[in-house]
Amino acid sequence: MKHAVISCLHANLAAVKAVLNDIDQKGISDITCLGDLVGYGPQPNEVVDLVRELDIACCQGCWDEDIIEGLNACECSYPSQLAEKRGHLAHQWTAEQLTDINKDFLASLPTSIRRDRILFVHGSPNSQHEYLLPDMNAFAALERVEKAGADTLFCGHTHQPYVRDLKNGSIRVRLQNTSNHNAEEKEINLPMRKIVNAGSVGEPRHGSTNATYVIHDDVTGQVEIKEVVYDIGLTCQAIIDAGLPRIFAWRLSHGFEFAEQAEDASHVCER
Amino acid sequence: MIERWALVSGLKGDLETYELIQRDLKKARGVTALFVLGDMIGPERNCDALLNRLQNPRRDELQPQCIYGWWEEQLLAEQGLRGEQKADALRLNQGEEVVSALLNAVDTYHLKWLSSLQFGFIELDCGLIHGSSADIGDNLTSETSPLILIDRLTRLDVNRLFTAHSTKQFHLELTGGGLDSQVKDLNGESQHKQKVSKQSIIGIGAGASYTIYDVGSDKTHFLTAVGQCNTPSKGFA
Ligand SMILES: [Zn+2]
Ligand SMILES: [Zn+2]
Repeated sequence: MKHAVISCLHANLAAVKAVLNDIDQKGISDITCLGDLVGYGPQPNEVVDLVRELDIACCQGCWDEDIIEGLNACECSYPSQLAEKRGHLAHQWTAEQLTDINKDFLASLPTSIRRDRILFVHGSPNSQHEYLLPDMNAFAALERVEKAGADTLFCGHTHQPYVRDLKNGSIRVRLQNTSNHNAEEKEINLPMRKIVNAGSVGEPRHGSTNATYVIHDDVTGQVEIKEVVYDIGLTCQAIIDAGLPRIFAWRLSHGFEFAEQAEDASHVCER
Repeated sequence: MIERWALVSGLKGDLETYELIQRDLKKARGVTALFVLGDMIGPERNCDALLNRLQNPRRDELQPQCIYGWWEEQLLAEQGLRGEQKADALRLNQGEEVVSALLNAVDTYHLKWLSSLQFGFIELDCGLIHGSSADIGDNLTSETSPLILIDRLTRLDVNRLFTAHSTKQFHLELTGGGLDSQVKDLNGESQHKQKVSKQSIIGIGAGASYTIYDVGSDKTHFLTAVGQCNTPSKGFA
């Protein structure tokens, strides 16, 4: 059966509606969301209301966590100081707008959802704030999937969709310790695993302005990355009307902000 | 010139053992540095004498370079000097009695010094740390999945990681292997084969069991300091 995985909605109602419509047109009713329902965008309550109404299974994202925990979240989520300052502004605005019911809903979200050998998380199994970028050290990436006890790990948070297959792995080691005088050697074969990043519905950063999500066929294991056109103008106008930093509107209409890519793929929040 | 490092951990207030190790090091050739990778303190005995000695080394002995370990972190947390949490991990695992024993074992006079200690050292291409940069209580042993070991090396971006928390002595070298990675995104597909880099994880032991590392030859010697009545034992050379 096919199911859709969406992530990083970021309070962008027009994009969320367009993606949900696209999923519906494909006859898919099973949807999992990897969090970041709010943040940056101008319609946090509308987006959370919609997700609640449709009863979409959701993990908690880094923004969802920060909104309810207060901004004790690590600044290291932001790749630059400027990005951090703007992020704080958006945080404050979102925290003021969100209703108590919607805050409670975000607070109630689990950090991961498991379905047999598939694990859904926002950032990584380690943290909602860790970026699993497509070029991260392959062994470290495989370690994340293994740690999750999964065959396939679905994540978001980077806003760049990809499917990464890790296979034909082996590690040879030589061990010396106090009980063996001659070093012993062994070879470990590594399992085949998959990481799927669902990209971002409401804040795409993959090089185009379209919203992205993925469709997973749990019989064939195939994953398709989908792009959906939506009315960007509508969201940009709402950003400006709300008094949010204009750069958020600029970013949506350009699709990519080079300065805001994570610098350290394997970075882990030490909070 | 020969350059060798002595690596010690888990003394837990045991000045006598520290003196035995210093005595051994005096006889060992070429030891240029002494690294103490945490757990200088513990709840079993009063630690003040050892802490005094580490802060005020004798002129004729190797000057210790110390980082903090799991027990120091518990003490500093309980004293409100590390984050918002108390010594929860210790309390949960070993109970309130051990928390108070730890508080009693260290004079508050030493807190300033303990809280000034670093989390780890980077020397040449080596990382010296109590557990790992993922967790100070990371229990890395020779049985740990090599995937985890590669991850810990990657996080610190070092070729050799010296770790102490497991108390085990081992030298595990990654000698070969690889992993195929195929990435598909909206721009297309790309293939990449990542090779295992020649890297090592070294468990240095704890207490009287310590390690000498020969920087030039990349050889590890696992040693045990023993009192007068016993003969010193030696691991492989
Ligand atoms: Zn996001
Ligand atoms: Zn995020």
